Amino acid sequence: MTETRPPDRLPAPDAEPVVRMTGVVRVHGEGTGAVHALRGVSLDVPAGELVAVMGPSGSGKSTLLNLAGGLDRPTEGSVVLEGRELRDLSQRRLAELRRRSAGYVFQDLNLIPSLTVAENVALPRELDGVRTAKARAEATAVLEEVGLADLGDRFPDDLSGGQRQRAAIARALVGRRRLLLADEPTGALDTRGGDEIIQVLRQRADAGAAVLLVTHEPRYAAWADRVVFLKDGQVADSSAAGMETAR
Amino acid sequence: MSVRHGLLALLSRGLRYGYQLRAEFEASTATTWPLNIGQVYTTLSRLERDGLVSRDDQGGQDGQDEQGRVRYAITSEGRDELDRWFAKPVSRADRPRDELVIKLAMAVTTPGVDVAAVIRAQRSATMRSLQELTRALRTLDASTEAAQRLVVDSMIFHAEAEQRWLDHCEAVLARPSEENP
Ligand SMILES: Nc1ncnc2c1ncn2[C@@H]1O[C@H](COP(=O)(O)OP(=O)(O)OP(=O)(O)O)[C@@H](O)[C@H]1O
Ligand SMILES: [Mg+2]
Repeated sequence: MTETRPPDRLPAPDAEPVVRMTGVVRVHGEGTGAVHALRGVSLDVPAGELVAVMGPSGSGKSTLLNLAGGLDRPTEGSVVLEGRELRDLSQRRLAELRRRSAGYVFQDLNLIPSLTVAENVALPRELDGVRTAKARAEATAVLEEVGLADLGDRFPDDLSGGQRQRAAIARALVGRRRLLLADEPTGALDTRGGDEIIQVLRQRADAGAAVLLVTHEPRYAAWADRVVFLKDGQVADSSAAGMETAR
Repeated sequence: MSVRHGLLALLSRGLRYGYQLRAEFEASTATTWPLNIGQVYTTLSRLERDGLVSRDDQGGQDGQDEQGRVRYAITSEGRDELDRWFAKPVSRADRPRDELVIKLAMAVTTPGVDVAAVIRAQRSATMRSLQELTRALRTLDASTEAAQRLVVDSMIFHAEAEQRWLDHCEAVLARPSEENP
């Protein structure tokens, strides 16, 4: 039980992380009403790594995730996504990079009820400008990966909670996005459903994606290569599996 | 507990040599409970003294075979004792005291100790073992015996509970400063 991480899973030491956050500060509002959601957080998420973020409610976990994926901009500090400093990008360029590089799974899954599961999953690729037939083929492949191969023609309302959640994950995975962001994706699921979700995220990390997962559940965080604890907008501590030297 | 009862349970399946008992005990606890052979023989001689096990009477002098090894058998008193053990729930008071609980209680009441730092350090360590256990479970293949999986599962649940308790401690300790400034 003291085995170290197999070498093929270790990112090359000088490989650039998919996301690099340096000294990130995020203040909501101004003056006396200002809320310091993040107070100087630095975090790298390299390819092939699953990083879990834990911490009490209000500690800044969702804020961190949104900043990492370019959904929000930092008040201070730098976020570099796939080598691009987000601060330097126009809104349009940022939206483009975001769409191309990152997949998001939020707790309120945002599946479109009037589209089938397969259409929901193919949608991001069609937005990427991929032809419908190709987008559908990609959707089918990724639905298979999450164990929903047979349910592509159903509508979201006709799935169980766990299946819906997996469909939302499939949508985040389609098009081989290199960064996967998941905010409490195991939400209200039972242990079994939660385990299924976490296994899919783990497989994606093992296949080379960078995965950032927010969770309250220690049992899911334990699947991560690294667990970062946030407190009052700062990294309180972190633990790396099988490595004594946490970065 | 009871290495005693563990050995009785193994012997209830048939005659065993001491070294077999050790190997089977470790296998069924997923090697999370290492046992040295000395412990096995000490326990066996106490069980023998109490009439719960006996030496296999097929052997020669003192039940030894040609190589001087002894096989042990469970007696009917031993079976009764085993039945009682399975039937009786484990009392929380019988379990060893948790050093972490004592440490935190002491940290809270000892002047000059940074309790928050104690909690943080423990939380990282507990999370690390939780990560290692999870990886161990992930790498168990499908043929692994259920007993072993359940042992690892138990340790995962335990580590998880400890993690929650540490969060709880942190939250509780953060409170008084707000209530009585
Ligand atoms: N748009 C906003 N305007 C003002 N304050 C905000 C805004 N978004 C977040 N905050 C505040 O920033 C802090 C961090 O919020 P965040 O959503 O990141 O917390 P969290 O760790 O995800 O919590 P939870 O576990 O409850 O989801 C909170 O105090 C929150 O109220
Ligand atoms: Mg949140």
